Amino acid sequence: MPFKRMPQTFTASIGTVTIGTGEKAVTMGGENVLPLYSFDAPIANRPLIGVEVSDLGVDNTLPELAAFYAGADTVVEQAKRAATMPGADFLAIRLESADPNGANTPVEESVALCKAIADAVDCPLVIEGSKNAEKDSTLLAKVAEALQGKNVLLMSAKEENYKSICAAAVLAYGQKMGAESAVDINLAKQLNVLIDKMGVKGENVAMNVGSAAAGYGFEYVASTMDRVKAAALGQNDNMLQMPIITPVSSEAWSVKEAIVSEEDEPEWGPTEARGVEMEIATAAACLAGGSNAVILKHPKSVATIAAFISAII
Amino acid sequence: MYTITFKVQGALDQKVTASQGENLLELAQKRGVIIDAPCSGNGTCGKCKVRLISGAVNSIPNPHLEQEDYDDGWRLACQSTVIGDAVIWIPAEAGAFQKGIQTADLSSPEELERYEASIGKIFAAGLERGCPQKGLGLAVDIGTTTVSAALLDLQSGKVMAKASAGNNQIRYGADVINRIIQSAKPGGREKLQKAIGEETIHPLIQELCQSAGVEAGDIRRCVLAGNTTMEHLFAGADAETIRLEPYVPAFLELRGKVARDFGLPIDPDAPVILAPNVGSYVGGDITAGVLDTLMWERPEMGLFVDLGTNGELVLGNQDFMLCCACSAGPAFEGGDISCGMRATGGAIESCTIDADTMEPSYVVVGEPGTKPIGLCGSGLIDVISELFRCGIIDARGKFVKDGKRIRRDEYGASYILTFAAESGHGRDVEINETDLDNFIRAKGAIFSAIVSMLNSLDMSVEDIEKIQIAGGIGSGIDIEKAISIGMLPKIPLEKYSYIGNSSLTGACAMLLSDQAEEKVFAIGRNMTYLELSTYPGYMEEFVAACFLPHTNAALFD
Repeated sequence: MPFKRMPQTFTASIGTVTIGTGEKAVTMGGENVLPLYSFDAPIANRPLIGVEVSDLGVDNTLPELAAFYAGADTVVEQAKRAATMPGADFLAIRLESADPNGANTPVEESVALCKAIADAVDCPLVIEGSKNAEKDSTLLAKVAEALQGKNVLLMSAKEENYKSICAAAVLAYGQKMGAESAVDINLAKQLNVLIDKMGVKGENVAMNVGSAAAGYGFEYVASTMDRVKAAALGQNDNMLQMPIITPVSSEAWSVKEAIVSEEDEPEWGPTEARGVEMEIATAAACLAGGSNAVILKHPKSVATIAAFISAII
Repeated sequence: MYTITFKVQGALDQKVTASQGENLLELAQKRGVIIDAPCSGNGTCGKCKVRLISGAVNSIPNPHLEQEDYDDGWRLACQSTVIGDAVIWIPAEAGAFQKGIQTADLSSPEELERYEASIGKIFAAGLERGCPQKGLGLAVDIGTTTVSAALLDLQSGKVMAKASAGNNQIRYGADVINRIIQSAKPGGREKLQKAIGEETIHPLIQELCQSAGVEAGDIRRCVLAGNTTMEHLFAGADAETIRLEPYVPAFLELRGKVARDFGLPIDPDAPVILAPNVGSYVGGDITAGVLDTLMWERPEMGLFVDLGTNGELVLGNQDFMLCCACSAGPAFEGGDISCGMRATGGAIESCTIDADTMEPSYVVVGEPGTKPIGLCGSGLIDVISELFRCGIIDARGKFVKDGKRIRRDEYGASYILTFAAESGHGRDVEINETDLDNFIRAKGAIFSAIVSMLNSLDMSVEDIEKIQIAGGIGSGIDIEKAISIGMLPKIPLEKYSYIGNSSLTGACAMLLSDQAEEKVFAIGRNMTYLELSTYPGYMEEFVAACFLPHTNAALFD
């Protein structure tokens, strides 16, 4: 019997979110097939890769990473360098130092930094907050105001602070927002419903459904993403059709395999190579699960994942 | 040694000697001073508020106590220890659960009418009346919170007297798990047996006999129906296995017992019949209740929901029955809710809110003019449904509007139903975000249990032809509002009915008829028990149901 192709396409599709302006603007989402199933139908927009730059500066304990950023001594310089990284579609500025339990950088300083970077580069921007819900609700609102017209994505609104981020970032200043939930399809949908009730349209929202480094309970992430995409495409659930953006580097570079020094575990090999492997493995798994964009930090991982995406799609 | 004086509102002062470091709540309990402590002293319910008049105690700060109240001398008894002489004032509402609990105990004409109609229907369905004993019969429904009893004439079936009281075990915890834990402590089994027997059922028998003008010795037959834990604790059986994997109770049926075996002050040779249990969390109150629902002889698909501290559900018809239980927690009965109370005087039992002005109007239990002091279960459902309808809270139960009735502090926001000046206890009556959270979890537990049970049979809510609601909270609940917040499935309202205290009705039928007794045992043996805690998908259904009305809004469109 001859082989008969039966493409599995859906009448529903994933929504799109565009960030940035002009020629460099990029769009995530839009497909009507399961993640990476380009053999079923053309994928509207290939998954995007973002490069993360922390406001705490470059981790100089990683020699290859330090070499890439050599000579870029300020965060703005580092952002300019990151924007040139081959394979990168957008820049993700992580305002780690704003955390009240850390350096607690004042809001004005963080905003000034974002403004300086936005003026220095022309690629699309994602701004990641301090992860402290209370601080982020004011911080991200101020960033939204300062970067008006740049069409940036602000991450992340959570259940505790979605109201101010919806109101300030999206409704007042026309930016995009990320909606973060903790690896549970129902919690993800609930947050989207709440955001929708604020009058924010789906085209302004990307979901961060949560992640874990590969091997650290990733099966929960895989099953959540699987079911989100199945509900979005199979059941046309428009409260789950937002594209998924996943910050990978913060997870991958914080597990034991990426931290323990070669001195302590000589048979494990160089620390940096391990971190890169964790980052690649996690990002590839997220993309297979349904992430429409991943955020990475190491040039090697970015290059590998870019090659992976173009080979598959 | 120090002297602690308890000044109980409306009672005599109690002086107790105590040593350094003794817990105030335990001290009061030891002395028989009753302070309602649904969480059994974990500092999570905020119910055991007492006021320090003079002296000092060492108290851990607690989110249930505002700074203002703390400065005013208010303390949580369970979070306070003795460090010197002290005089403690115990407000009346701390012991409110003891008096005049409003419950379905046949005390109103409507309840009596409903009872007589139900009994009539049970015997019209083919069961014959008649038992070997002559004289009086006693039926008791042992609830986790409330105990109701009725005294019947075995020949005529006439209700001679009825009464109800709070279950005195309440001071060992509001839910069955806390009670089981207490019963496992040294001497615990005896303490809990005494609390339900001598301290609760014996006075009830006395009260019944007094009001009917009869002798307790003339009671020749007794039927008790309670959940599995209550029956175990009443019988003095080991209840620990109910709580521990694989959740198998010590007995399902306990037959051939007489009053003497339990020390009941009635004819010592009177048979005592315990309605059979089905599983650890579906007990005799449900098997007796099912008799009342007539599901066992009807072709249509029926759902029986007993709303209480534990929610129990039975789905089925004449051909099969499936049952399960879920832990709704004490929220429906006022526990775990800062201003929650049982439906006694001063409880707000229904409420509407003006969407424009955010002003509430409500009905309070008690004599006209009674000032509100809290919210009972039906009032709570009304308030939450109204807050949601008016857009004052979002679908996660968080306050999204501001106004004169919304207060925000470091522990979150709250809605003030009654300002201190108009309330019965001089403090604001308010509902806060933690309360909303607790309630949403309780209603989520009920709804997800219904859905999981239906899913296990590959059925949907449309397949249910009749829903019968039982339980104390049920009498006042507005079904439409309960549906609007996703507590009960959205099916036409005419398919719903409220059947009162079905457990007590079933127990009365068992009292009057050997055939009804046998029928209940047959029902118990034929029911399939679904253990939700190990049922795949239940957790996910639960999270989906913890949203107003539901994450899948299509279920309530």
